[in-house]
Amino acid sequence: MVKTGKTAEHKGLSVINSPRRRQLIWNRIWRSRYIYLMILPVVAYFIIFKYVPMWFLRSGFYDYKLLKGFEGSKMVGFKWFERLLTNPDLFRYIKNTLTLNFAALFILFPQPLIFALLLNELRNKKFMKGIQTISYLPHFVSTVVLVSMITTLCSPSIGTIARFVKLMGGTPVNYLSEPRYFVMINVISGFWQSVGWDAVIYISTLAGIDQVLYEAAKIDGANRFQQVLHVSLPGLANTFVLLLIMQVGQLLNVNFEKVYLLQNTLNLSVSEMLPTFTYKTGMESHNYGYATAAGLFNSVISLILVVIANMVSRKVNEISLF
Amino acid sequence: MKQKANQRKSGEYIRRSRGDRIADIIINIWMIILLCFFLYPLLNMISISVSADSAVLGAQVTFFPIGFQTSAYSSILTSPDLWRSFGNTIFVAGIGCGLSLIGLSMAAYPLAFGGKFYGRKLYNIFILFTMWFQGGMIPTFLTMTRLGLHNTFWSLIFNSLMSAYYVVIVRSYFESIPISIVESAHLDGANDFRILLQLIIPLSKPVLATVALWVIVSHWNDYLYPLMFISSREKYTLQLVLKEMVLNAETSTMNISMSTSSGSNIAAALGQQTKNAVLVVAMIPMCILYPFVQRYFVGGVMLGSVKG
Repeated sequence: MVKTGKTAEHKGLSVINSPRRRQLIWNRIWRSRYIYLMILPVVAYFIIFKYVPMWFLRSGFYDYKLLKGFEGSKMVGFKWFERLLTNPDLFRYIKNTLTLNFAALFILFPQPLIFALLLNELRNKKFMKGIQTISYLPHFVSTVVLVSMITTLCSPSIGTIARFVKLMGGTPVNYLSEPRYFVMINVISGFWQSVGWDAVIYISTLAGIDQVLYEAAKIDGANRFQQVLHVSLPGLANTFVLLLIMQVGQLLNVNFEKVYLLQNTLNLSVSEMLPTFTYKTGMESHNYGYATAAGLFNSVISLILVVIANMVSRKVNEISLF
Repeated sequence: MKQKANQRKSGEYIRRSRGDRIADIIINIWMIILLCFFLYPLLNMISISVSADSAVLGAQVTFFPIGFQTSAYSSILTSPDLWRSFGNTIFVAGIGCGLSLIGLSMAAYPLAFGGKFYGRKLYNIFILFTMWFQGGMIPTFLTMTRLGLHNTFWSLIFNSLMSAYYVVIVRSYFESIPISIVESAHLDGANDFRILLQLIIPLSKPVLATVALWVIVSHWNDYLYPLMFISSREKYTLQLVLKEMVLNAETSTMNISMSTSSGSNIAAALGQQTKNAVLVVAMIPMCILYPFVQRYFVGGVMLGSVKG
């Protein structure tokens, strides 16, 4: 078998330049001509709008001037990277980036699962449908609107939280200006906006679990909690792990808009992250070279996290309990 | 146990255990609390926008309005900035959505129905690579500027026209269509463009509707890219104008609440009412669409998860 394969390949090589062979290749391409025609604009789009920006990453090595382009800008080598690494605030930016994102990850990530499980336990199916529909309404609220709502709620004079604190006998402060509340505000608003939407996939998976399994568990004497533990939860485990890995992959890029809009001069010590620093350096200080370098640095950290997540997932899948 | 099973078969009512009933009560109460939590910020926003001045400043407004007035709405609905930004955003979202659908169908068709054309693998990697690695914010901005698209709507449209993720979703739906349809159309002499247009697109309405809605919502809610790409005021999109109006209202409230005369109190209250009224107006189109589209959205999430 192997031998015949080899000889065939050998033959193929020897006739590769024969006119007949070329004719065959040409025929095959000609048959797919419409496919190539279809691909052409798509490829052009991806090159211009996805690959050219990657090529523009080299502006991290230039003192890039917007109006002059690469030709008119001076090449500065690793100057921006050196400046970034010697920036005394760099450690704080990295710490804030990781804190804000990991707090969101660890606290928020299991919430949709819990929400879906509880929702599934509701006996009144109309009530269940109603809550589900309302729970993903916040997903469609834009970040600008979300942040404005947070500002209103946290306001020391007209906010609901302030009123509540006053009722309890405390003195309200502006919660957005207090660094110690920043992570909490970020997590709670994240919960509000994403829990219902992220639960959709779990709810659909739960609906797909065979009812026979529940019946069998009941017959074996499992109570409701045990049914959830031994039937529902294992059914969701794979989805959970899969989503977790995907989430880690884009960890450092989420949250940017919200954090940027929630920033004010008083909470900057905890709210300045690498992406917001990148944005400000580029778009507010117009130092495009430095900003590109900082953005690249952020991408590198994110890449490291993806690699770690992949490694862990391989381990987890091997020792997977379910 | 057997007895219980028998009871169920005969359709009789099963008496729940006490633990069961307590669990039910706790879950129901928790769900009601969550329901209030989800609705509160939205209801609060609507209520503040129409409540009486004193109630707004005294932080008395919670779920429902106290008093009623619409002065905030009459002041913003006459603002030309808001209407123009509505128009701009609808333009960007409309054109962007249309071009996205055309582009995504054309990107996904060769992968699903193109057969084994030369370069198929390369083309696949070429698209998927952009899912894992991107130029990032600043290089994208520099590219747009270099292309001369800065401060045009085209920068917003082209920036999110296609993404590898959407291509994967559309493609996986295409792949669920039997390929024999395409083959027989080929035998009948139709070319690939015609097959795409007359056969595949009509058969793929669910996925195309989902993607269309995703694109529209993302354009509607986008703040960052308009902030980067658009510099002249008459081209501002909705979220930019929104942010500006909110900021104005907040600063006016803050400046005025320092002093204590009654005239400035009215202005401070108006600032808050205006701010919330603007947010309500910006959300109305989404809320009108919402009941119709939420089913498609949910369907789309499942489509995306197939590929994982």
